[in-house]
Amino acid sequence: MTTPIAYFLVVSAALFTIGTVGVMVRRNALVIFMSVELQLNGVNLALVAFSRLHGNLTGQVLTFFSMVVAAAEVVVGLAIIVYVFRRRRTANVDDLAVLRW
Amino acid sequence: MTEAVWLVPALPLLGFVVNLFAGRRLGRAAGWLGTLAVGAAAAIAVAVGLDVLAQPAEERTTVVHLFDWIRAGAFTVNVDLRVDQLSVLMILVVTVVGALIHLYAIGYMEGDPRFGRFFAYLNLFVFFMLLLVLAENLLVLYVGWEGVGLCSYLLIGFWFERTAAANAAKKAFVTTRIGDTFMLVGIALVFLRLGSLDLSTVLDPAIEGVQPSGVFTVIALLLFGGAIGKSAQVPLHVWLPDAMEGPTPVSALIHAATMVTAGVYLVVRTHLFFEISGVALIVVLVVGLVTALYAALSALGQDDIKRVLAYSTVSQLGFMFMAAGMRAYSVAMFMLAAHACYKALLFLSAGSVMHGTHDETDLKRMGGLRRRMPWTAGVAVLGALSLAGVFGLAGYFAKDEILVVASETGRTAVWLLGTLGALLSALYIGRLVFLTFLGDARSAEAEHAHESPTVMLVPLVVLAVGAVGLGVLMLDPDTGLVPTFLEPVLGAVPHGSAGVGSAALIVISQVVALGGLGVTWLAYASGRVDWLALRLRAAPLQRFLSQGMHVDDVYASVVVAPAKAGSAFLAYVVDARLVDGIVNAVGRLVQGLAGVGRRVQTGLVRTYALAFLVGALALLVYVGVRA
Repeated sequence: MTTPIAYFLVVSAALFTIGTVGVMVRRNALVIFMSVELQLNGVNLALVAFSRLHGNLTGQVLTFFSMVVAAAEVVVGLAIIVYVFRRRRTANVDDLAVLRW
Repeated sequence: MTEAVWLVPALPLLGFVVNLFAGRRLGRAAGWLGTLAVGAAAAIAVAVGLDVLAQPAEERTTVVHLFDWIRAGAFTVNVDLRVDQLSVLMILVVTVVGALIHLYAIGYMEGDPRFGRFFAYLNLFVFFMLLLVLAENLLVLYVGWEGVGLCSYLLIGFWFERTAAANAAKKAFVTTRIGDTFMLVGIALVFLRLGSLDLSTVLDPAIEGVQPSGVFTVIALLLFGGAIGKSAQVPLHVWLPDAMEGPTPVSALIHAATMVTAGVYLVVRTHLFFEISGVALIVVLVVGLVTALYAALSALGQDDIKRVLAYSTVSQLGFMFMAAGMRAYSVAMFMLAAHACYKALLFLSAGSVMHGTHDETDLKRMGGLRRRMPWTAGVAVLGALSLAGVFGLAGYFAKDEILVVASETGRTAVWLLGTLGALLSALYIGRLVFLTFLGDARSAEAEHAHESPTVMLVPLVVLAVGAVGLGVLMLDPDTGLVPTFLEPVLGAVPHGSAGVGSAALIVISQVVALGGLGVTWLAYASGRVDWLALRLRAAPLQRFLSQGMHVDDVYASVVVAPAKAGSAFLAYVVDARLVDGIVNAVGRLVQGLAGVGRRVQTGLVRTYALAFLVGALALLVYVGVRA
C-alpha cells in the first residue's frame, strides 16, 4: 500500500510556500537563509516523490546535487553573514541596502 | 649600359639619404656630395644616351624592369623604367642642368644654417623628377609627379621662418594639388577604360578603336588639368610668381628648368590621347596662347627681378604648350631643353646679382652692375638675347620654329598673337637686363656690389654656352638633330604652305626681337627717356600688371572668401549646433532614461526576491499557457 503522490506534493508545496513567505517577510538574514533552505527542501521532496512515482532515479540524483549545492551555499552564505555582522553589528537586511542607486 | 639606367635616379636618392642623416656633420662637403651624386647621374645619363644612339632608330625603346609593385587582380603596377628618345632627352636636361645648379648652390647657399638639408631636398627633387620622366607606368609617373610637388613645397618654404615663404609654399602645394586631382582621376579613367597603365600598352596607336573618341577627350583633358597645375598655366598659374620666395637655385632648378616643364613632358608623352581627341589639342593650344600673352604682359609690370623671370617662365611654358597644341612635339621638347638652359642661366644670374648686392631684388634699386659684376652681366645678356629670340641663339630656334609652324599650318591668329608674345618677351627681358646692368647705380647696394665666387660663375658660363649654342641641335625642323632623334616617338614637325615665306618670317621675328630690345634700351638705358616719370604717369596700368591683372584678388574674393565663409558656417553652425546638438540630445536621452531606470536598484534584498518570485511565476504561467 503506497502513499498517494498528492500527500507528498501537499507537504512539498506547504514547505515551499512557508519558505517563500519567510524570505519575503523576515528581516534577519539568518532567518531568510533558513527560509531559503525550506524552499529547497520543498522542491527536493517533490523531486523524490515524482522519482518514486515514475520509478526513475533521475529525480533522486538531482536531489543529491541540490543538497550538495545547498550545503556549499550555506557555507559561503553563513560566512558572509557572520562577516557582515562583525562589521555592521547587524544582520537586518533592510539596513544593508547600500548597493543601490 | 641601358640596363644601368636605374643608377640615374638611384644616385640622387643615395645623395638624399646621406645628406639627410649626415648633412649637418658634412658641412660644406654636403654640397659637393649632392653635386657629385647628380653629376655622376648626368654622366650615366650621357652613357645611356650614347647607348640609345648606337641602336637603329626603330629599336631605341627599352623597358627596364626593376620590381613588381602592385598585383591585385587585373590591376598590376610594375616599377619599370622606360628608356626611349624622349626620356633620354629629359634625363639629360634634368641631370646636366641639375648638376650645374647644384654646383652653383654650393656658393649661393654658403653659410646657411641648413646647408646639408638644402642639398638633401635638391637631390630628392632630382630623384623624383627622374622617376617622373623615366616611368613606364602612369602610376609610377604620378608618384614622381607628387614627389616633385613635395620637394617644391619643401624648397619654396626652405626659409620657413619668413611668413611669406611659408605661405608661398602652401599656396604652391595647394594650387598644384588642384591640377593633380584632375590628373589622378584621368589616370584612373585610363585604367578603367583602356585596361592598363603601362605606357607601352596605352600609347599604342591601336588603342584608338577601343573606346569612342569622347573618352579620349575626357582623359586628355584630365591629364592636361594636371599639366596646367604643374606647369603654372592659366588659370592655375598663381603659385609660380609667389614661389620666388624660395632660394634662387630652387627657382632655377624647379621653377624654370625642370619641374614646371613636367606638364609639357606629360602632354608630349601622352600626345596620342590628345591627337585621337582633337578637341584636347585645341584646348592645349588656346591655354598655351592665353598664358603666353597674359604672363608676358604681367612680367612687364614686375619690379622684383625674380618675379619678372617667374612670369617669363609661365609665358615660355605657354609657348611650349602652343607647340604641343599644334602637334609640333619635338619643337616643344627642344624649347623645353633650350628654355632650361637660358632660363636657368637668367635665374642664376639674378641669384648672382642678389648675392652681390645683399639680397636686393628690386629692379628700381639696381643699375650699373655691369662694371661691378662683368661675368654675371655678360652671361645674363646672352641669356636675355637667347630668350628674346635673337637670330642664331638657342631661343631663336625654339620660339621661331613655333611661330613658323603656326604660320605654315594656316593658324594666322595664333601666329600673330605668338609674335605679339615674342615682342612682349623682348620687352620684359630687355627691361630687366637694362635696368639691372646698364645705367648708373641707383642704391648703395648696387654701388658696392661684388662679383660672385668662381663656384657660381662656372655653372653660369656653362649654361651660357648652352643658351647660345644649343641651336645647333635644331638647325632645321626636318633634318635637325633633335627632331630626327625624336621623330620615331613624337612624329615629324607638321608643315604647310600657308602664311608668308620662311625668309619673311625670319625677318619679322628679328624685327620684333631687336625692335623690342631697342625700345627698352631707349627707355631704360639710353638716358633719353625719364622712365620713372613715365611710370608715374602710367601708374594704374603699372599696378594692374604688377598684380598679375589681379587674378589673385579675384580668386581671393570668388574662391577663397566663399570657401572660408562656407567653412565657418560648417564649423560654427552646422557642427557646433546641428551635429553637436544631435550627439548631446542622444546623451541627454540616455541620461534621462537611466535616471528613471536606476530607481529599480533599491538595494533591498526583498525587492530582488520579490522580482525573482514574480519572474518565476510569470515563467510558470507562460509555460502553462503554452502547454
